[in-house]
Amino acid sequence: MEIIEIGGLVKKFGRFTALDGVDMSVEQGEVHAFLGPNGAGKSTTIRCLLGILRRTAGTARMFGRDVWKNAVELHRRVAFVPGDVNLWNNFTGGEVIDLFLSLNGGKADKKKRENYLKLFELDPTKKCRTYSKGNRQKVALVAAFASDAELYILDEPTSGLDPLMEKVFQDEIGKIKAQGKTVLLSSHIMSEVEKLADSISIIREGKVVESGSMADISGKAKGRTLEEFFISEYESR
Amino acid sequence: MNNNFTRLGIYLKFICRREWVVSAVWIACIAGLSAIFAALYPGLLPTQAETVQMAATMSNPAMVAMMGSVYGMESLTQASVMSQECLIWFLITAAIMNIFLVNRHTRADEEPGRLEMFRALPVGRLTGGLAAITFAFAVNFIVSVLTAALLLALNIGGTTVAGAFAFGCAVGAVGFVFAGSTLLLAQLCSTANGVSGAGFALLGSFYILRAMGDVGGNALSYISPFGLGLKTEAFYSNATAPIIILLIEGAVLSVIALAVCAARDHGAGVIPASKGRANASRILRGPFGFVWRVSKGAFFGWSAGMLLLGASYGSVCADIDRFVENNETMQKIINAGGGNTLLDGYVAMIFVIMSIVAGVPVTLTAIKIRSEEKRGRLEQIFARAVPRVKLYGAFIAIAIAESAVMEFLLAAGLGAAASGELPIGELMKAGLAYLPAIWAMAGIAALLVGFVPKLTALVWAVFGYTFVVLFMGRMMDLPDWAAKLTPFGSIPQLPVQEFTVIPLAVLSLAAAGFTALGIWRFKERDVG
Repeated sequence: MEIIEIGGLVKKFGRFTALDGVDMSVEQGEVHAFLGPNGAGKSTTIRCLLGILRRTAGTARMFGRDVWKNAVELHRRVAFVPGDVNLWNNFTGGEVIDLFLSLNGGKADKKKRENYLKLFELDPTKKCRTYSKGNRQKVALVAAFASDAELYILDEPTSGLDPLMEKVFQDEIGKIKAQGKTVLLSSHIMSEVEKLADSISIIREGKVVESGSMADISGKAKGRTLEEFFISEYESR
Repeated sequence: MNNNFTRLGIYLKFICRREWVVSAVWIACIAGLSAIFAALYPGLLPTQAETVQMAATMSNPAMVAMMGSVYGMESLTQASVMSQECLIWFLITAAIMNIFLVNRHTRADEEPGRLEMFRALPVGRLTGGLAAITFAFAVNFIVSVLTAALLLALNIGGTTVAGAFAFGCAVGAVGFVFAGSTLLLAQLCSTANGVSGAGFALLGSFYILRAMGDVGGNALSYISPFGLGLKTEAFYSNATAPIIILLIEGAVLSVIALAVCAARDHGAGVIPASKGRANASRILRGPFGFVWRVSKGAFFGWSAGMLLLGASYGSVCADIDRFVENNETMQKIINAGGGNTLLDGYVAMIFVIMSIVAGVPVTLTAIKIRSEEKRGRLEQIFARAVPRVKLYGAFIAIAIAESAVMEFLLAAGLGAAASGELPIGELMKAGLAYLPAIWAMAGIAALLVGFVPKLTALVWAVFGYTFVVLFMGRMMDLPDWAAKLTPFGSIPQLPVQEFTVIPLAVLSLAAAGFTALGIWRFKERDVG
């Protein structure tokens, strides 16, 4: 079953075309890596998926339903971690996590929350203004993992984490996958992608230029490392 | 060898570069406003008889508490009355300017880690602090000289060189004390918010201390920099001792602050940051709780402000007849005549002004969602199961509640300070009648947030127009329709005018329509 289906997705900001016909599909239970250079349209695609931006043309569905019309109902089943985590200076991390969990509707699982706080070594009593980039990301990650989602949309979630925390993150993604849940992971960290991804889409200048399973991609790479292959894909042809 | 102040010159230049526009605006505002206020006095007090009469109202304890004790009753001039009524407000403005100025270049730079980059360069440990206080001193110095020069140029009755400089230097010297105390607070508190919060708390305490001292005629006035500043008795005794004491106080505070700075870790405050809650309270959970949490600080702050505003206008009620009698400008502003008492005219006028002010926090709440959006925080909220209409609706609901609370507190403060001169029921009616106008402003704001979010600030232009037309309009004889264009201009001005329900109903409907349209458009548009 396809959890995410995007077809011919176009997003224009005035005269600037950010997305120029994006096609992508993500199957249930897979970790789908979403790659591309800065400014290629990864975050714009994700924001369209979340119904935060309204698409100019094309289709975008999650769980078979339109992402704009059913945004609120769909979000009950989605957990999201943004690339830039902006928080409220005078809230503590614990308060933000509880707020996010409560906004998802259902009852928050207290044990799960405590467990992830410990796992990510995050002090929830500190005010958000005192957190580093990595700690702000941990707040968003704990809120995402502690929620009871079926689809995880993660936009460069580990860019500020240390290698230890990166490992914790990767283990958690493995557990999520084992539960048959789905992950859309945008990332610049090649080792992370190599370890976690089942399939890949590469976006450049608002278009998906390459997609397929990890096996397909390895075939296309023809002996080059993934990194070399990606760099050649990122560069304009 | 002492390297604590290495590269002070370059650092000072850097502060000037960052700061000169903002400081120039502050300097122009303080000096310019004092000139504008002073320029009003020849019109307000054309003859000696009126000057004496005005001075009599100043001895009322409520007025002394507000503006300071009276002096020089035997040789009153326009200038000395002006100083007794206006100086305190400029002392406060200078204090505010210095709290912001010094905080901006100390803790507000240190907290996000900008100062750290300088400290990694061959820059002295105390260079930043000394540069900030030096710059503040220079700004206060310019304020003093410019204010004095403008007062001399205006040359209203009773102006002397010594008086003009006593007035100007009092402003600058009090400002410098606050620069020094803010520098110290920046070492004690670990966040910029903490510094400005503590700074304003100090300002408030000193103002109250002065009020208590002035009313009781005791030494408390001398402990407060405000009290000390007023003791210069500008345009009468022109004392220089208070100014010297203030300057010494500022310098001592600065030295203590730098000593503390030298002894502490970069990034830390002397007062450790307290631990926060590990869990969200029950109230914070859910969209409405979230909206309340991000709005409540402003809500309570403005509530206190409205109560004080009402009370300060109320404190002159008892003397209003003496105040306005024989004074044409005042009578024109109050719209006296036509069978109304002066007091009624006064109440009607101040409710227009106070209600426009009350509209500000309400509008701020109505556009708060836009500032959350600009800071990139809404995407995380809307990535969860939160309907946009519900979130914006929550902001609007709080704005509506806020409008009622603000008008209620204005009327309550006014009634309490007028001590029985005015029936409280009438005041409530006069105040609450303005609610539809405030809602209309919030509606315009919602419309902007929905349709042209980048131009949300236009709502302040509407406020500006409203204030100018309704306040200055009476003096400038503007046509009626200019006022009727604004929501506030169409509200019946109780108790002077008849109460009619139609404009209130029309405005309420328009407000509801605007708000609904704005929320609907917000639901449909891109966020971020």
